[in-house]
Amino acid sequence: MSETATPAASLPDDPGTLIDPDGDRPAARSGRSRSLLRFIVKKLLTTIGLLFGVTVLTFLLVQAVPGDPSTTNLTEAAQQDPEIVAAYKAKWGLDKPLPVQYLTYLNNLLHGDLGTSQSTGNSILSDLAKYVPATIELAIPAMVLSLLISIGLGMWAAVRKDRAADHTIRAGALIGLSTPSFWLAIVALYIFFYVLGIAPNGGRLSTKFRPPQDITGMYTVDALLTGRPLVFWDALWHLALPVLVLTSLTVSILIRFVRSAMLEVLDQDYVKAAYAKGLPRFTVLRRHVLRAGLVQVVTVGGLAFASLLSGTVLIEQIYSWPGIGQYAYLAALNLDLPAIMGVGLFVALVYILVNLLIDVLYGIIDPRIRVS
Amino acid sequence: MPGSARRGTHTTLALLAAATLALAGCGSNAEDNAAAAGTAATADGSAAATLTVDASLVVKTLDPGQVYEPTGNVLVHALYDTLVTFDGADISKPVPSLAKSYTAADDGKKFTFELNPDAVFADGTPVTSADVVFSLNRLKNLKGSASPIVKDLSVDAPDPHTVVVTSSTLNPNVPTILAEPYAGILNSKLAKENGGTDAADASSTDKLTNYLNTNAAGSGPYLIESFDAASRIVLKANPKYWGTAPKFGRVVFQNMDVQNQKLTMSKLPQNELALDLAGDALTGLPKELQQSGSADSYYQLRLQNDPAVSKVTSNADWVAALQAAIDYQGVAALFGPAGKPAAGIVPTAYAGSLPESEAQKQDLPKAKELLAKSGVGDQSVKLLYPAITFGGVDLGTIAAKVQSDAEKAGIKIELDPAPIASFLDQRKGGKVPFSFSPQLLDYPVAASIVADLMPGGHTAEAAGWTAERADKETVAAAEKVLSARDSADQVEALHDWQRLMINNSPYITLVYNSTTVVAGPNLKDAVFSAAGWTVDVADIGTN
Repeated sequence: MSETATPAASLPDDPGTLIDPDGDRPAARSGRSRSLLRFIVKKLLTTIGLLFGVTVLTFLLVQAVPGDPSTTNLTEAAQQDPEIVAAYKAKWGLDKPLPVQYLTYLNNLLHGDLGTSQSTGNSILSDLAKYVPATIELAIPAMVLSLLISIGLGMWAAVRKDRAADHTIRAGALIGLSTPSFWLAIVALYIFFYVLGIAPNGGRLSTKFRPPQDITGMYTVDALLTGRPLVFWDALWHLALPVLVLTSLTVSILIRFVRSAMLEVLDQDYVKAAYAKGLPRFTVLRRHVLRAGLVQVVTVGGLAFASLLSGTVLIEQIYSWPGIGQYAYLAALNLDLPAIMGVGLFVALVYILVNLLIDVLYGIIDPRIRVS
Repeated sequence: MPGSARRGTHTTLALLAAATLALAGCGSNAEDNAAAAGTAATADGSAAATLTVDASLVVKTLDPGQVYEPTGNVLVHALYDTLVTFDGADISKPVPSLAKSYTAADDGKKFTFELNPDAVFADGTPVTSADVVFSLNRLKNLKGSASPIVKDLSVDAPDPHTVVVTSSTLNPNVPTILAEPYAGILNSKLAKENGGTDAADASSTDKLTNYLNTNAAGSGPYLIESFDAASRIVLKANPKYWGTAPKFGRVVFQNMDVQNQKLTMSKLPQNELALDLAGDALTGLPKELQQSGSADSYYQLRLQNDPAVSKVTSNADWVAALQAAIDYQGVAALFGPAGKPAAGIVPTAYAGSLPESEAQKQDLPKAKELLAKSGVGDQSVKLLYPAITFGGVDLGTIAAKVQSDAEKAGIKIELDPAPIASFLDQRKGGKVPFSFSPQLLDYPVAASIVADLMPGGHTAEAAGWTAERADKETVAAAEKVLSARDSADQVEALHDWQRLMINNSPYITLVYNSTTVVAGPNLKDAVFSAAGWTVDVADIGTN
């Protein structure tokens, strides 16, 4: 089999094995593992350069914003007292020249110290460790649900192209895309909390419960690990509405890509041949269409996941969800330079890692990419 | 993947899911069960009914030496007792707290406080004068936001139960200043053990703040259970509180945006109150809810008086024309039921405000006449304001109303919204011709704003209003306010001063707005206090 062979080159019962150009030979597997490892190491090394670039860019952008941290962190009367302003600037190192401030930051960063937040007084690392798990707890179920729904509906729309189901799904996606996220969040809160009374009014846990012991920072997981079922169900109940809102927004984005990717695959000769061979429709869709179409979906899905992980400021604000989005918002509001830099680095890292994951997934889904 | 392996994976996943559900459904936790049933108890076994306070949490720290944000003040007041305090909504006179009594010397500068021997910190240690000296010196030397207020004060401890506070200038308001949350008294031994210092270089050497964010070192009715400024802050009753025990064993401050607070309160919750409902958010609330508020903020236009910065805004006739052009009643209507057209400068929550009958009124013919007299013509001037919502109202709406009213008299204004950081930065430079912002008092005495607004004060300096440019009679009226030792005299002097300021200052006060505490129907004594802490959660009980 040539390296450029397409899945259409043969029509196996289990195409997953035959489209693998190297077969399952141990030597070939070992070679693949080594090349994958080289690929990952190379990507990670590039990451260091990218993160350095992110620190420079974030630092310069924050300096370009009009305003001085002392004006947002001191009262108007205190701002007029030069002694107080000088003490504030000295405390946070703002009295030093900009290059010195940046080099100090970089030096601390290389020693694993992202600095101290001017707003919370905590180390940025401990702040991130507190806020990121809350966002992950939202992002993962929202992403899983989004993928399941958008792949299901996207495939259905593709199979039923130009029929009522297709039109309905496309119209739904368009409406979802045009709906402002904050509006949807408020309306959902109004309906499910105020009118129906089946959802809580925000937050991560009812006030009557104490949060579970901090193990992963995700209340549902920590509640299970510490054997607190009531807290688990309560945390899950609080998770439901923001996850559903995020899911509906993400589905609207993904569904069109899934549909178009599936339409492209459905038109391939090997799919037509599979039908002609008499394979059941579900088998054709699952084994031939879905796997080939997933390559495009992975790119968009990965970026959507990165976006969810980077925090959804408005959703977190409306549902009082103390995630990275809220932290970023407060940091920006207070011109909290170390926190802004910390969030910037985190978001950059998320996108870099998600892109790396996408590249690896490409190879797993489509061996042709791995070979090339 | 071979079929059998795939089936194996499916089976494993199914088993994991089943195990998760089983664990979630079958486990038990006595504390959670009690909480779910509403019968939770505190560590000492007393009932731990929970009071929920919904607020857009604005708090960076629970350190009294550093606190100045609204939510921070409510919390710190519950954690730390002060020498004196205010009783409920009455802010007319400080009443005893850690000090059982105090006396003021005839010179109006020296105040002697006698400590209550019963007062103890949460660890049982008695409160002594050394703790007071440490706390107030630390406050001053931390050089934080509240430091300017106590800059002129010195503190001495002639004996363990007596504290003498001396102001370097005449200041009859010292007891009021010492009632504020930032003047909370720390357990000095505990504070020092955890990195606190009151030394002159405390701004760089004190390391106590982080400790105080999770551990209270005071003698107040509550202690800290947990602190997360972005989510919830939980207080628990101090089992060794030396005063009247609080009614609720636990208070949860829950971070919540305003729309959510309105939806929540509209469902008439038990044991719950909201702190941020203002403006239109107050309309349409169920009548069963209790509302308590008082006008504690004022919204003011500031006009640059230095002709070198602006020939337009330094023109007295143009300023008077603008003053006559504004529809004060219309501006107040934008604030919903809590808005009131301004009569003078001092909001009605404080002694010294002018009666409502003196509220400013629109007079367009006079405005047009004054504009013609000014000779400014149709020159436009930019109105700088922070692009934020404050007190339930988007400040852009107020600025647009001013622009539209001015236009009716032929006055041209361009709107110049700015992010809050940029607004503050521009305005402190003293080069902004025309700006607008809401204002609050540093402490609940109207005289506290007089020095700031008059020549020599920070605000006047930023407005280019110097002693040479100021009207002598107005300056004399301000001095009379600041030198008054008797509160009745001070109120009278404040009235005279404001009437002169209306015509002789670079400020136009538009409207007063209230902070409102909205409480569930079953609560009692959930009253708004203009004292600086919005509401005293330790006072709140149930009907």
